[in-house]
Amino acid sequence: MVGDRLRRGPGRADTRPVIGAAFSITLASAQGGDEIAFACLFRDVQPVLLRYLRVITPDAEDVAGDTWLQVVKGLPGFRGGEEAFRAWLFTIARHRAVDAGRSRSRRPDVPLAATEVLEQQTAPDAAEAALEAISTRWVVELIRSLPREHAEIIMLRVVAGLEAADVARIVGKTPGAVRVTAHRALRRLAELAERAGVTH
Amino acid sequence: MPGFPFPGRPGGEHDEPLLDMIIARRALPPDAPAVMHDLARMLAALAGPAEPGELTGEAAVRAAFRRAASPAGVSSTARRPVRRRRSRHARGSVRSRAWLATAMVAAVAGLGSVLAAYTDVLPSPIQQLAHVAVAAPAPPSISTQQPVMLGTGRRSASHKARPPSSPPALQPRRSPTTAPASDPTPTASRRPRRRPLPSSSPGHRTPGPACSAAPSGPMQCTGLTWQTVQPTPDPYVP
Repeated sequence: MVGDRLRRGPGRADTRPVIGAAFSITLASAQGGDEIAFACLFRDVQPVLLRYLRVITPDAEDVAGDTWLQVVKGLPGFRGGEEAFRAWLFTIARHRAVDAGRSRSRRPDVPLAATEVLEQQTAPDAAEAALEAISTRWVVELIRSLPREHAEIIMLRVVAGLEAADVARIVGKTPGAVRVTAHRALRRLAELAERAGVTH
Repeated sequence: MPGFPFPGRPGGEHDEPLLDMIIARRALPPDAPAVMHDLARMLAALAGPAEPGELTGEAAVRAAFRRAASPAGVSSTARRPVRRRRSRHARGSVRSRAWLATAMVAAVAGLGSVLAAYTDVLPSPIQQLAHVAVAAPAPPSISTQQPVMLGTGRRSASHKARPPSSPPALQPRRSPTTAPASDPTPTASRRPRRRPLPSSSPGHRTPGPACSAAPSGPMQCTGLTWQTVQPTPDPYVP
């Protein structure tokens, strides 16, 4: 079952950032034109960014690409640490998602359902990787079933690891409201997961 | 079924510390409800490293980065030194322009001062300095109509320059009913009366007001009575 998949991989629960304490050096190198350093930044944030965008928009890959283009343009002028960088990047991502939603409203599109996405994972020699991907995507879909506000705050506050003040700034709420909403969203997520048979 | 509190139920806030720990990605205590442990695992998996297919856009993003960091025809490593050289050159040219402007202003000010000295529009002490420094005309001496208060460094506007000569020193005697023409400092009233500055040698003029003196006979001026005295050494000029 999916719940077993989740409980099987404790090694994947490593939430340490790829860059960590060396972020400042990596950022400075990237700002100086070092492509390898920039690739480190990309690999550090891209997975969480993509998962966040999958929650709030059906055009996650396109919006992620637009987000990074904007980051490339603004990188030389950016000043701050890793938390500020993430807050800045997710702010751009949200704006690009809103823009994509407006343009999509002019040309409606039919997104794939979650079950159709799971059925595409059919490579037998990558079963383990596929199951891992299914589990992550399944959780993303579970979070997507929450109200939009709850889903977004869970992704920003818990998954992306942004501070309450940064999340509040992004979504347009107070830090106190973000904390209350995060608690409610987590309780509701636990309830959904329990109903889906993921948890005990 | 674990006793997992549902939102909105009274007393359902006791799980807030555990939820805060999940949000902060801290390890839950072992006796926390199993649903909390599962919730933490679910969310930690979402924050994990990239999965297959999640980095497929890296090549395009890196290409965009290369284009942004390296304009056409210039490599990314070469761009940085050029930017630094340009900024150093820009700073150097700005500094040299600033120095040039300062030198020009100083030169114009100096020329203006010299011209003012030669046109005798400067105050007397400054005119005296200019006379010593650049051989500008000497400041005019006092006229017979206006008294000069020694030691104050001030003179009336009607003073005219007198040729360097060695007239007898004059000592003004102030009448009790006559107030001094000016007293710019509070200590001037406590100063003793000073003798006028004599011209001890031809061409020698000491700074300070000078008295115009007739070769003989008393001088008449407003409020003061002059009398001829023997030449004295240059008095102290504060």
